[in-house]
Amino acid sequence: MNTNARQYGDLATQLITESRRSTSTDTLLKYNDVLVRSIIREQRQLETILEASLSKVPPNNIDPQKHPDILLYQTMISRNKRCLLAYHNHRLERLKDLFWTVGGALPLLLSTSSATPGGQPGVDVRSKLSPHEVDFLRSYSASLLTFRSGVLATEEVDLFAPISRPPKDLHVQVRVIRDCGVIQTEVGALDFKKGQRTLVRRGDVEHLIVQGYLEEV
Amino acid sequence: MADWLDALNTTMAGPSFIDRVRNAAADDDVPIRDDFGPILAQDIAEETSLQQLIRHWMNERHAPDILPAQEHLLGRLLDHIRKQSDDVQLLCADPDSSEEEHFRIILVQTEVERVKFVIRSYIRTRIHKIEKYAQYISATPDMHERLSQGELEHAQRYARLLESHFMNSVLQSLPLSQRGLDDDEPLSPAMITQPDRQRAVFAHARQACPPVRLPDGSTMEMEKDQISLTPYSVIEQLLARGEVELV
Repeated sequence: MNTNARQYGDLATQLITESRRSTSTDTLLKYNDVLVRSIIREQRQLETILEASLSKVPPNNIDPQKHPDILLYQTMISRNKRCLLAYHNHRLERLKDLFWTVGGALPLLLSTSSATPGGQPGVDVRSKLSPHEVDFLRSYSASLLTFRSGVLATEEVDLFAPISRPPKDLHVQVRVIRDCGVIQTEVGALDFKKGQRTLVRRGDVEHLIVQGYLEEV
Repeated sequence: MADWLDALNTTMAGPSFIDRVRNAAADDDVPIRDDFGPILAQDIAEETSLQQLIRHWMNERHAPDILPAQEHLLGRLLDHIRKQSDDVQLLCADPDSSEEEHFRIILVQTEVERVKFVIRSYIRTRIHKIEKYAQYISATPDMHERLSQGELEHAQRYARLLESHFMNSVLQSLPLSQRGLDDDEPLSPAMITQPDRQRAVFAHARQACPPVRLPDGSTMEMEKDQISLTPYSVIEQLLARGEVELV
């Protein structure tokens, strides 16, 4: 698009379109730092124009009907701001979803290895986040861990285990997708090697299934 | 309004989950009723802890607002689970236990896992709502007493976290006048999400209920086992007293 033909607010619309695209394709898009910065620049610009317009009228006596420009700038400013916040909030919700789908295993989510488990090979979450988002996830995880130790005060119930389907059987047949070392189970220590199939107690390996080390057969 | 309400008034056909719970392996120290009367029609006094939890869990999942925390109930069930797990361990370690006992042990363990699932889902449902309304909760003392101590702390931490994330990512780069997180702009949605108490819910009367006032000014009286589709605010009080449950 010709930059001269661009109007105020176009950039914010682009940002919202990006959020919408992220929802409809169910993917986390890279944090659009450039666009966010341009909108912030536009906000400062608008604020300057608004102040200039405001200085022309006597304070405490602004009649919007006589000064439509002021109303217009004010509306643009608040729209841009809401779009910016909506974009960030939408991303946080997506990140929280991701966090829960890996069973709260934050190191796994933030690991830069290209073979991220969870059925999405090659998804590198870390590189798509802004530094502030990484901070957010860390604090979020810490807050939940505090919550878990305070409220349940028990290891009986694993808060991070999946809640999509109630367990039907006590045991589960799993296939090992990635080596995960020696795991303590009901029948003693088991060494899970890639490619193995075993029948194990669901409660013992639930977190490994969620994190993508094991796969239910 | 009365017409569509009448059309929806049917007697309860148990939802599949309730059916499954009823048919699930019974807890060995919960008395089993011979007639297996429908769980929903049972008198309130006979409700076991698990049935209470399932009722609160379903209420929580259907209600737009956060309901009072059931800390005692959760504590009781967790104690129970712990006791049962210990018993199971003892029985497993005992070489004299028979084949039949081992079969029972498996049933008990499965049931324990299923109860844990409900507890987990219940807590997670609450966490989800608490995070959604975190700012509202922090600003509204009335909400505090509905949450447990841990939940309240998480809500406050989360609200602060959200605020500092917005501040660091966006707001600190904006001019001072644009940094508010609670602007009251006409024609735009509120910046602090509040529970939508007008959302429609299906309420099932567990007993005959006193009349409630509908938004159009008329009153509605629900008989036992009647199901109505109403705005949440209408049956809020009935739900708090346990006279209806959400289905």
